[in-house]
Amino acid sequence: MQDTNTVQRIAIDPITRIEGHLRIEAQIQNGKVRDAWSAGMMFRGLELIMAGRDPRDAWVFTQRICGV
Amino acid sequence: MTEETRPSTIEERLEQRGITRREFLKFAAFMTATLALPSTFTEQVAHALATAVRPRVVWLEFQDCTADSESFLRASNPNVASLLLETLSLDYHETLMVPAGAMADKSLMDTVNGYPGQYIAIVEGAIPTANGGIHCTINGQTALSRADLVCRNALATIAVGNCAWDGGIAAAAPNPTAAKGVKDAVPGLGTLINMPGCPHNVVNLAALITHYLTFQQWPERDGQGRPVFAYHETVHEECPRKDHFEEGRFVLAWGDAGHRQGWCLCKMGCKGPDTRHNCSTVKWNDGTCWPVQAGHGCVGCAQGNFWDQATPFYVSTNCHDD
Repeated sequence: MQDTNTVQRIAIDPITRIEGHLRIEAQIQNGKVRDAWSAGMMFRGLELIMAGRDPRDAWVFTQRICGV
Repeated sequence: MTEETRPSTIEERLEQRGITRREFLKFAAFMTATLALPSTFTEQVAHALATAVRPRVVWLEFQDCTADSESFLRASNPNVASLLLETLSLDYHETLMVPAGAMADKSLMDTVNGYPGQYIAIVEGAIPTANGGIHCTINGQTALSRADLVCRNALATIAVGNCAWDGGIAAAAPNPTAAKGVKDAVPGLGTLINMPGCPHNVVNLAALITHYLTFQQWPERDGQGRPVFAYHETVHEECPRKDHFEEGRFVLAWGDAGHRQGWCLCKMGCKGPDTRHNCSTVKWNDGTCWPVQAGHGCVGCAQGNFWDQATPFYVSTNCHDD
């Protein structure tokens, strides 16, 4: 058993059973989460892709942000 | 239930789930028809489905929106959904699996290392190549490195949806992450089958796998790796509104008299003439409807680079009646 006072850092990636590429990192001390960080690990740049296009097409593009 | 105690054949497992022999045969006939095989093949297809040992599948998600997974899961026809899930041993799928983090990775690597050349890799989503591939990572590994490892060790790779085919929406101009499809990101794969569409249609995926289980080979593909049974005819050729096109009856404004009477949508920007797919026969929502039937033109989602080639969606570029 490790000294529980030691700050441990764990990363869970991928977080499953959700849509998207989620990563959670957590700092654990005395068996409790002391701090945590979440991050989306995927980027497409849809805002950049939509710039300058026919506004009537916007719904087709934004629909593809998430298909769930 | 452990792998050992599960009934070994699909037919037995379907029985456990209350799917009758009659429904099973109906599904076999449906798959035979989708594959454009003569109906005399139904018995052979049924026999293959009933006795096949489940192929192992790993499903990789990269720059995706999960719509191809949704298409796979939302097969509302219980036969299609049950048969697919019962036909395949889905060893890895981030949206569906219970293990997370390192345990998820273990599931993937158990299959990749334990069954090299024996599992099917299904890829959903584009693969970013800019900046060393950092725009999509899983467990600290780039999508590019994971695709390379998993697809190169697979029996076959199936790229579902446009993103996995040619980069799809992520690769639309200006393609900020240098996104690519499997064919360009992992070139030289022995067997790569492309199932474009945004999303792909689960009926075609089911038919593709049914073909493999029946004949131990993949169906005929065109020069772009697309199964001919699903990507030969244009949407326009098979369109139920085609008579209106030939008679010169066009919708000219949304809600006009022609629109209410189901006339041709090509002057409203329909991309059916440029797009090869079997939407009008396979349809969506358990075969009930598809966009043109609902009164909207085809956006061309099964053609290459459609986010740039087929846009603006509401501008007609191919209506050569005049």
